[in-house]
Amino acid sequence: MIVADRKPLEEILEMIKDYEKVLLVGCKGCVTVCNVGGRKEVEVLGAALRIARKKEGRPITLDETTIERQCDPEYLEQIRDIHDQYDGILSMACGVGPQFLSEAYPNQKFYPTINTKFMGGATEHGVWEERCAGCGTCLIHKYDGLCPIARCSKSIMHGPCGGSAKGQCEVSDDIECIWDTIVRKKMEQGRLEDLRIIRENKDWRTARDGGPRKSIREELKK
Amino acid sequence: MSEQFEPQIVAYCCKYCAYAAGDLAGSMRLNYPSNVKVVQVPCSGRVDIIHMMKALEEGADGIYVAG
Repeated sequence: MIVADRKPLEEILEMIKDYEKVLLVGCKGCVTVCNVGGRKEVEVLGAALRIARKKEGRPITLDETTIERQCDPEYLEQIRDIHDQYDGILSMACGVGPQFLSEAYPNQKFYPTINTKFMGGATEHGVWEERCAGCGTCLIHKYDGLCPIARCSKSIMHGPCGGSAKGQCEVSDDIECIWDTIVRKKMEQGRLEDLRIIRENKDWRTARDGGPRKSIREELKK
Repeated sequence: MSEQFEPQIVAYCCKYCAYAAGDLAGSMRLNYPSNVKVVQVPCSGRVDIIHMMKALEEGADGIYVAG
């Protein structure tokens, strides 16, 4: 899923400082699963913003709603009847949300309340880690299910590099050296020779290097 | 004479212990300060951050969870 963190309250208050009536829109997709932008988080942020503005002596009318997904135009229709009743709209979805909303309602102003971070999963309750960099050409099978693109700080495909020490990356003690793990796993499975295979250069045009990407499924198009 | 500040406290009480204790205190004709407003919950584990936020938003000065 897409993993995100909420922006600091002060930053969000600054965005809406001139507004008196604001709508806060949550998303029931990825950000609900990573506990950042679902119905509950919308209620908590909404209450926090109202309390903060009341404390400043400038109370705000802040309504809340949470839609199925902000990355599908049909669900954005859920706010069509009310979108023009506000000075501005806060989106509690990943970076896709405010953009899809802006495209659906060009006359309204949209603001992000969360920072979108990466594609990953929960390794324990309350901890999410990056697992996919969306490079467009998956190579995971060559590294026994461990992705060096997403999990190596340098995204190298022939590691480990000289910065690997005791299974950790030189960038931070909090980062596992995935190449150390890949080599260990190959050794345990008696397949270390796999790493001697000379592979073609990776085609990075399928990643961001080729510009913004698009996926077209002809059989699904109208 | 200046009026003394009296905080409004919302108390979320577990049905099976804290609220029952409050009930018992009532039967014993004991009283507690009137600025404590008791809200019965099925279990104190049910109390979430949103319950506290809503209470603060509606004017509570403090909250306690008893269970």
